[in-house]
Amino acid sequence: MNVTDAVYISELEKHYGAFRAVNKLTLRVKRGEIYGLLGPNGAGKTTVIKTLCGLLHPSSGEVYVLGKKIPDPSIASRIGYMPQELALYRGLTVHENLAFYGEIFSLTKAQIKAREQALLKLVDLEAHRDKVIDRLSGGMRQRISLACALLHEPQLLLLDEPTIGVDPDLRASFWHYFERLRDAGTTILITTHYMDEACHCDRIGFMRDGDLIAEGPPQELLQLTCTESLEDAFLSFSKMEELE
Amino acid sequence: MNIARSFAVTKRVLRDLKNDRRTLAIIFVAPILIMCIFGAAFAGDVKDVKVIVVNHDKGTPSGSLSDKVIANFNKDILNVEYSSNESDARAQVQSGDGYAVIVFPDQFTQSVSAKALGKTSVSQEDVTVRVLADKSNVNVANAIIASVNGALAKTMQDMGRKQLFSLDASEAIYGANVQFIDYFVPGIISVAVWQLTTLLTLISFVGERSSGSLFRLLASPIRESELVSGYATAFGALGIMQSAVLLAVGVLLFHITIIGNIVIAFAVIALLAIVSQALGILLSSLAEREAQAIQFLPLVVLPTFLLSGIFWPIESIPVWLRPVSYIFPPTYAVEAMRAVILRGWGLDKIFPDIVALLVFALVFLVTAAILLRRRE
Repeated sequence: MNVTDAVYISELEKHYGAFRAVNKLTLRVKRGEIYGLLGPNGAGKTTVIKTLCGLLHPSSGEVYVLGKKIPDPSIASRIGYMPQELALYRGLTVHENLAFYGEIFSLTKAQIKAREQALLKLVDLEAHRDKVIDRLSGGMRQRISLACALLHEPQLLLLDEPTIGVDPDLRASFWHYFERLRDAGTTILITTHYMDEACHCDRIGFMRDGDLIAEGPPQELLQLTCTESLEDAFLSFSKMEELE
Repeated sequence: MNIARSFAVTKRVLRDLKNDRRTLAIIFVAPILIMCIFGAAFAGDVKDVKVIVVNHDKGTPSGSLSDKVIANFNKDILNVEYSSNESDARAQVQSGDGYAVIVFPDQFTQSVSAKALGKTSVSQEDVTVRVLADKSNVNVANAIIASVNGALAKTMQDMGRKQLFSLDASEAIYGANVQFIDYFVPGIISVAVWQLTTLLTLISFVGERSSGSLFRLLASPIRESELVSGYATAFGALGIMQSAVLLAVGVLLFHITIIGNIVIAFAVIALLAIVSQALGILLSSLAEREAQAIQFLPLVVLPTFLLSGIFWPIESIPVWLRPVSYIFPPTYAVEAMRAVILRGWGLDKIFPDIVALLVFALVFLVTAAILLRRRE
C-alpha cells in the first residue's frame, strides 16, 4: 500500500449473513482529491463509508485510513463523517447542535464560536443560529448536518449522500465548497446516486451489487464508453459486466 | 475517559429535555398526579361502612348488654342501621346496600351474666354475636370484625369483668404514626424514577440510532464509556430532581414522615436512575423504532409494580415467587428508601441494598458500553 493515500482498501468483503454487500473491493483515494462513489441504492456505497468510519467490521480484506489500519480510534478526530440520516438533535437549536459536536471533538469555546460563524456563513444559515432543528426545512437541516461534519476541519471528509433532498442551487454551492476544501488539501470521499453531479469529482468509481465495475476520472470514463453522460457510462459498464 | 466529552453528552441530554416541555411534564407532573391519586385514595383507613344490626337481645331490667356493645362501636368505621328481621338485613347486604349483618341473640344479656356467674348450662350460641359480612372486600370485612371485637372487649372492660389476657400494640419500634401514604411514597418515587428513566433513555437512544446521530458519535473520538457515563450523569441528576419534587409534595401535601438522612435517600434514587438508564440503553439495541421501544413498557413496569414491594410487602407474595422480586432493581431501592425514610437507617444498615444496586449499575453500564462497541 501507499501510505500517502488518504484511503486504501484492499480486497474488502462485507457480508450481512448470506447477503454480500461488498465484494473484493480494492480502491485508493489519494490525498487532496474528491473521489465519488456512484451507484444505485443497495450498491454497497454506504457499507464502504461505514467501514471507513469504523462503524462496520470488514468480513475480510484490509482498510487503511490516513495511513492507519482501521479500526483505529486515533484517526476519529481527523475524519468528518456525514451520515445519510439527518444525525442531528431535533430538539436542540442549530447552535446547540454545533456546540455539542464541537465539544465532542474537544474544540475550545473560542474555536467553536469561530468555526460556527464561518460554517453558518458558508451554508447561509447565519440568521437561523438559535432556531430549533425541528423548525427548519429539510434542506436547511441537511446544510447543518454538513456543517457538523466540517466543524473540526477534518483531513478526510466521508460524505454519504450529502446532497439528497437539497435543491439544485444549493447542491451547486455545496460542490463549489467541496472543491474549495479539496484545493485547501482536504480529501473527500463522497457517495451519490445523482450521476450528473459526479462530474465535479476528480475520480469516480461505479459500484453495482457490491462490485466496483469501473473507476477513473469522469472524462476518461465517458471517452471509454463513448457516452455523453455519466448515467449512460454507468449503464454501459453495467452491461459489459453482465456480459462478462 | 475524557470527562469533558462525557459532560458534553450530559449537557446535551439535559438541554434536549429542557426544550421538550411535554417530556418534562411527564417526568415531573405525572408522578405527582399518581402520588396525589394514590395518596388521596389510600390516605385513610376504612371508614363509614354501613352495617345492619339485628338486635334480638331482650336484656334485663337493669339494662341491655347489647346496647352497651353497640354504643362502643367505632362510629368512624361503622355506620350502624337497625333491622328487626335477619332475613331482611341479609337481603339488604346481598343487594349491596351494606357490608355486614351483626346479630345479637335474644338471651344475650342474661346468658353473658349467667356465664359470668359461673353457670355452665349456658349455651355458646346465646353468648355469640354473629357477624355475617360481605367478605368479597377483605379489607372492609376485617375492619368490621375488628371493630365489633374491639367493642366487645371494651364493654367487658367497662363492666369490670376480669381480662384473662391483654394486648398492647401502642408502642412502635419503627413507624409510630405512619400512615399508608408514608409507606407508599418511597415506593412511588422509586417506581417513577425506574419507569420514566428506563423509558426516556430507551426512546432517546432508539432516536439516536434512527436519526443517525449515534453513528456520527461512534465515528467521532467519543468512547462508548463516555457516552454511557454522560447519559448516566444526566439521568442520575434528573432522578434526584424528580424525587426531590415528589418528596416535597409528599411532605407539604401529605405530611409524610421522614426520619432518616434525606441525602442517603437521594443517593439511593440516583443509583436507581443510573441502573434504569443503562437498562434503557441495553433495551434500545433490541428496538429499531420508537414505536417498538414503547412495547417494552409492560415488561419494565408491570413486574415491578407487582413484585417490588411498592404497594404491598414482598412478604405477602407467595414464597416461591419472592426470589423473582430480587431480579428487579427497584426492589432494592424501595427497601432502602423505606428503611432510610421511615426507620431512619443509615448506610451501615442499607449497604446490602446499595451493593445490589451498584452491582446492577456496573453490570448494566458495562454491558451497555460493550453493546455499543459491538460492530456488525
